[in-house]
Amino acid sequence: MTEAGRSHFWHSDGRRLSGLSTLLLLLPFFTIIAFVFVYPILQLLVISILEPHPTLDNYARVVENPVHMRVLMRTLWTAMLVTALSVVLGFPVAYYMSRAKGTVAALVAVCVILPLWSSVLVRTAAWSFLFQRNGLINSALMSLGLTSQPFKLLYTQSAVVIAMTHVLLPFMILPIYGALRSIPNDYGRAAAVLGATRLRTFLEVILPLSLPGVVSGSLLVFLTALGFFITPALLGSPQEMMISTLVSKQIREVLDWPFAAALVGVLTVFVTLLAIIFSKMLRFDRLMGNAS
Amino acid sequence: MGLGARGRRIEGKTEGKRGSVNIVSARQSASGASIRISRLEKRFGAVSAVDGVDIDIAAGEFIALLGPSGSGKTTILMSVAGFEFPTSGTIHVDSEDLTYVPSNRRNLGMVFQNYTLFPHMSILDNVAFPLKMRGLRTAERHARAEAALATVRLAGYGHRRPNELSGGQQQRVALARAIVYQPRVLLMDEPLSALDKNLREDMQLEIKRLHAELGITVIFVTHDQSEALTMADRIAVLRDGKIQQIGPARQLYERPANLFTAGFIGEMNFVDVRVESVGDDVAVALPWGETWRLPATAAVEPAVAGEAAVLAVRPERLQLGVSPAGQVIAVTLSDVVYAGAALLLIGHLPDGTEMRARIPGASQLSSLVPGDVASFTIPTEAMLLYRGKRR
Repeated sequence: MTEAGRSHFWHSDGRRLSGLSTLLLLLPFFTIIAFVFVYPILQLLVISILEPHPTLDNYARVVENPVHMRVLMRTLWTAMLVTALSVVLGFPVAYYMSRAKGTVAALVAVCVILPLWSSVLVRTAAWSFLFQRNGLINSALMSLGLTSQPFKLLYTQSAVVIAMTHVLLPFMILPIYGALRSIPNDYGRAAAVLGATRLRTFLEVILPLSLPGVVSGSLLVFLTALGFFITPALLGSPQEMMISTLVSKQIREVLDWPFAAALVGVLTVFVTLLAIIFSKMLRFDRLMGNAS
Repeated sequence: MGLGARGRRIEGKTEGKRGSVNIVSARQSASGASIRISRLEKRFGAVSAVDGVDIDIAAGEFIALLGPSGSGKTTILMSVAGFEFPTSGTIHVDSEDLTYVPSNRRNLGMVFQNYTLFPHMSILDNVAFPLKMRGLRTAERHARAEAALATVRLAGYGHRRPNELSGGQQQRVALARAIVYQPRVLLMDEPLSALDKNLREDMQLEIKRLHAELGITVIFVTHDQSEALTMADRIAVLRDGKIQQIGPARQLYERPANLFTAGFIGEMNFVDVRVESVGDDVAVALPWGETWRLPATAAVEPAVAGEAAVLAVRPERLQLGVSPAGQVIAVTLSDVVYAGAALLLIGHLPDGTEMRARIPGASQLSSLVPGDVASFTIPTEAMLLYRGKRR
């Protein structure tokens, strides 16, 4: 191993950490990861290929049944849509937060962070009130005379996408905000004095330098969205199921563990592939300013 | 539209430049602009950062804005760059009023303290950036960026990334980027303060050389007086948003216009005195009872009989021993410091006022020790008289 590639750990006073202290510091974390994450996932994947007997039948059932593939595709599509919407809605807020000071800026920051203090269930329930047949949105539309019949909003895929975007938006805003905040003010000034308009400064300097934040926010939102359960279950239509609902059904109603495990296995493969493509495409470390 | 016109102007100039083969002819094609800053004021709430500043800068001049932090020097530069709009006053470059023109349409070059190279671009793309903004085609802007890199002696570094270069190299790239579009004014905001001492001295020469070659007008902000003294044609000393003095290094050092400049530039000894009479010469009473007659030219500010005044003299102007060429003082030495080229003697006058002397050729003076009372002569022409009291 080269000198540069070797990991060093330091005490806050600059002395090197001994191997033992490093181990003690990290042991609890790795124990938890091993027992509550790695082990169950592996167990699940083992079940998916070993039960009822060693076979790939469970996977065949996922891939061959168009209904299941549609659920999988719908899940991926919804997660992508939610991610894209979060970028579009979140970037301006993050940009504002990174530039602003004072009361309004503090207020915006609170509005971004505060929803994280309430549970997803509460926020989803709030949306179901708004989306009801005679909920706030429909009554507003009708009293404005924009429609005479209430729209069907609740139990649609649109409701799911809107509510999920709302719930996940902070996870997009915060990483982008972090990336934008780390761009020194002088970069914008330098670009301006070198002749760039505000738009060019944004496109050529600010946006590229904020991409690491956009990428990590997108990964965070996309991966969380894939596994979302409560929101699709409460706001979505039973005809347009998402994968988490399907998995839950298999486990709790049909009691078909091997098949549920295969569903999770297929999803895991998709996610891994997407994550690899994503980070390769955007060449993460070059953007971060680390020369390869 | 405006950009197009500028683009053409760059091309025209480059053609002229290409013909020039040596530094002399480059100097003749001097392309600096004159700058006129008039009654500039910038207030932040109740605080005046810049308070009625007037500076006229000649085309091709190298001017340094020198002052302690909070003196307003950076705010002036920010106003010239267009990052701040002044509360009142105007900024003209040549005869064009740029006071409220946005930065990107001022066509000025600027180098920042922290290099500000864009980390996601190669060195070449960084230098070519201003040309890209001016709508030049890729091949053209790469050729010019290469040429600009060669001017700062970094030819062949174009493919690297900013973080692969040392601080000094990065600042040279920033310099290349600031001159590649041939602006007529170069603004520099403490460009050398992030570099270590040796590198700083190299860069000072590099910047001086570029200034001579390009004939560009330079405004250089610094808090380092030796940097200002070595580099600038003229120095504007600022304090609390006001100009204290503006002039060439020699004038600032040898005849500071007021007490602040006298204390700010270089080392200075101050003695509180009282003006007794003003006539063909100025008679001043010293704290220990003596009366000295100084030539009228010693009074930098008009002396008024009966008022307090401050006598100032540079430590290196003191002569060890008694001589008829000036006034003699007795100093009780408290420190004798060997400082290489000179011996630094620190001591006290009879009234307790501290007095420093720098005596060159230190070796024969090694017999002096703390506690000795040494006689010094202050040459008459080395004495400067200011109004007020020392702080």
